[in-house]
Amino acid sequence: MKLQYNGEEQIPAAPDHVWTFVTDPEKVGRCFPDVLDVAVEDATHFDAVVQVGVGPVRGTFKLKVELMPDAAKRRLDVKITGGGFGSAVDMTAAAELVEAGAGATALKWSGEAVARGPVAAVGGRVLDAQAKKLISQTFATVRERLAAE
Amino acid sequence: MSTEAGHAVGVAMKRKEDPRFIQGKGNYVDDLTIPGMLYLALVRSPYPHAEIKKIDIADAMKKVPGVKAIITGKDLEAAGLGWLPTFHGFDKQMVLGIGKVLFQYQEVAAVFAESREAAADGAEAVQVEYAPLPVVADPFTSKTDQVLLRPDREQKTNHIFHWEVGDKDATMRALSSSPRRIKERLWFQRCHPAPLEPCGCVAYFDTMGRLQFHVTSQAPHVYRTALALVTGIPEDKIHVVSPDIGGGFGNKVPVYPGYVCAIVGALKIGRAVKWIESRTENLTSTGFARDYHMDVEIGATEDGRVTALHVATTADHGAFDAAADPSKYPAGIFGIVTGSYAFPVAHAEVDAYFTNKAPGGIAYRCSFRVTEASYAIERGMDILADELGMDAAELRRKNFIRKDQFPYPSALGFTYDSGDYHKTLDTALDAIGYKQLLEEQAEKRARGELMGIGLSTFTEVVGAGPSKHFDILGIKMFDSAEIRIHPTGAGIVRAGTKSQGQGHETTWAQIVAEELGLDPQTIMVEEGDTDTAPYGLGTYASRSTPTAGAAIAMAARRIREKARKIAAHLLEVGETDVEWKDYKFQVKGVPSKTVTMKEVAFAAYTNMAQNEPGLEATFYYDPPNMTYPNGAYVAVVDVDRETGEVKVRRFLAVDDCGTIINPMVVEGQIHGGLTEGFAIAFMQEIQYDGDGNNLNTNFTDYLLPTSLETPHWETAKTITPSPHHPIGAKGVGESPNVGSPAAFVNAVIDALSPLGVRHIDMPITRDKVWSAIRAAEDRKK
Repeated sequence: MKLQYNGEEQIPAAPDHVWTFVTDPEKVGRCFPDVLDVAVEDATHFDAVVQVGVGPVRGTFKLKVELMPDAAKRRLDVKITGGGFGSAVDMTAAAELVEAGAGATALKWSGEAVARGPVAAVGGRVLDAQAKKLISQTFATVRERLAAE
Repeated sequence: MSTEAGHAVGVAMKRKEDPRFIQGKGNYVDDLTIPGMLYLALVRSPYPHAEIKKIDIADAMKKVPGVKAIITGKDLEAAGLGWLPTFHGFDKQMVLGIGKVLFQYQEVAAVFAESREAAADGAEAVQVEYAPLPVVADPFTSKTDQVLLRPDREQKTNHIFHWEVGDKDATMRALSSSPRRIKERLWFQRCHPAPLEPCGCVAYFDTMGRLQFHVTSQAPHVYRTALALVTGIPEDKIHVVSPDIGGGFGNKVPVYPGYVCAIVGALKIGRAVKWIESRTENLTSTGFARDYHMDVEIGATEDGRVTALHVATTADHGAFDAAADPSKYPAGIFGIVTGSYAFPVAHAEVDAYFTNKAPGGIAYRCSFRVTEASYAIERGMDILADELGMDAAELRRKNFIRKDQFPYPSALGFTYDSGDYHKTLDTALDAIGYKQLLEEQAEKRARGELMGIGLSTFTEVVGAGPSKHFDILGIKMFDSAEIRIHPTGAGIVRAGTKSQGQGHETTWAQIVAEELGLDPQTIMVEEGDTDTAPYGLGTYASRSTPTAGAAIAMAARRIREKARKIAAHLLEVGETDVEWKDYKFQVKGVPSKTVTMKEVAFAAYTNMAQNEPGLEATFYYDPPNMTYPNGAYVAVVDVDRETGEVKVRRFLAVDDCGTIINPMVVEGQIHGGLTEGFAIAFMQEIQYDGDGNNLNTNFTDYLLPTSLETPHWETAKTITPSPHHPIGAKGVGESPNVGSPAAFVNAVIDALSPLGVRHIDMPITRDKVWSAIRAAEDRKK
């Protein structure tokens, strides 16, 4: 099943600063909700282990993440593949940074998730919320961390 | 209850197997434990269609305590066991994914471990890298061949087969010249038998090097032969045992990959292996049923006499052609689609396609596609009645095969054995009060209320079958019985069939008791052990009573002939002077000079004179024809106009299954089958989304009716014995599942017909009804 989301975060930090943060695998990886482990491979690749629960199905997902930054456009595309307990997920997310007044950035994001296996079977009722959480909370956490700096 | 010698057939004797089941003392496969036994868990694909790039077992082997071995498709392929033939005989199925996977939850690797938990953890730790491929989620997309699903086959197409029967030209001519015609596409949705006990097995090699294979099988002898052919193990070195089975409904006919993996594991590791699948595994990977898209066309005269029938079907067979049909019948016995009606001409055709869904197409409480056929004709007749503005009962009565036309040769090649369709329908209409219901409906309609009456006057064809027509993997579909009468008059009967709840331990004893004048309580029944039971094709397709039931009666008659010689000796007369009367041997014309079978049995071991000692017989029965159980079902429903809720107010099933062996068992079978039919009509569908995800993987998404949802069932009967069966019995287990879906749907559509609704595909859920009502109201505006 395919799910699509989008949203926007207002971050009290300058775009350059936000850009450095979101293109750093270690930093952005730690913003995944319920993340258990982040292993950075190189500047644009990392593995993450996250805890997920969808209805009666609970366990960990091992995710392979690829960052595809376009510095000129201040646009970051993210490809996430992986899964766990017999399920597979493919997600893509895109974030665009736009200056929003002095020292502030609007982070516009959109995301798409395709899930297969037991996780998909428990379906729209709960998966929707979970996939949305994974993507939207990541960007919300980005905002929180930057705001706290 | 009869415990005396005398009438045993026709007696509502309590089931001999029930005390053990009721007390939780059944002996199921999962109850078996062998010292040192390992557990098998299967790694399954989350992708419906994907290339397997890499299978990494290192973590599972090293990091999960208790994991002993892991095998993959490549390992099996190297051993020549990569594929297993499907029972249908024209396709093969991957045991474990080789190169790619073709459906979600397909088996990819087998993990053997010291405990069930360790096996599951090990399966979780196996890392498989997939590259997704385009998904074909329905047969109509499959038809375009844009994505070729099975490059392993010689034929480079997704089309599996075209099958047809009847005279197409004559049918088309008759249809085009018919003054009235209907045409409708009816989909009998993909559903699943969902037996409460899922599939499983225990495999090990004993100290003699024999394969001991305990398995949930409806056909243990066929398994033994198939295993010998596939593995090369000599057939005498294979012992298949089907212990108690918690429901089969056709789901336990095919051989599944888990069985092969368990045997390979036992051979490779040298320890016993148990594999018990989970509910999700059962629903997502073992044999589904139906999934026929049927274009039904019926022609008729102005006054409602049918002139021709044409049915063109597109069938979704999933990733492998594992439909468990007899080899000459790729679409089963779908030719019964002319039903109970005297069609002068007809033509039926089926085109089957591969899709990225689980394989199957098994006969779910159904004699090989008979349920689909029955639904097509019974819905079709109602749509015709609506088109003609004719009462649905009247249209049926007008077109029924008449009692005096039996044996009746149908336009599609069957010879119907017997029936009295007019009487069966009239029995149903009288019992339900059809006239009063019609009056009530007219009043309610005037008030805008939605009440429906649905009929189904189906004819089934069961008891495969005559060996000249039916075989599985070349093995002819006869069945068998062996009876031994002990010195005290007790005995044992063994048959080639295998009960999964049908009550054979009771009904087989009743047949022996009836034929031999013995006490059914002291006749033990044993099935499911290939070392002891005579060879048979198993229990499915309502074939047990028509085949093994007949074999039991015939074997008993052989015993009676032998016993007559001993009786003559005991009565001190010549053999020709002895007759079998009132369940005893007596000297012809001298009612006072008698000897009972019990006395003869004792003499067979103690005082047999010059006769051969002992009292036993075996009979292999090859039926001359199939049997044709039939029935008239009536459903009465009320539909809530606001919510779309359908309430089944009444349901009456009048069945004619010929001679009844045990009326209580028959009634129980009818209740069970009606409950399944109700579930299919209103609740059940194995749905896949467009990406090939299975959406009904457990009992929260694939619904089983409980006593709360299930309507009250009313039953009645007519009895028209089969003229060719030794005791006139026809089989009944499947009739209620075959006949009832159309009655439910016809009732709902009848309720909605004032709104202009002509058809809704099953399952008829509230939202579908609600949407149909809203759409009808929008049309009016």
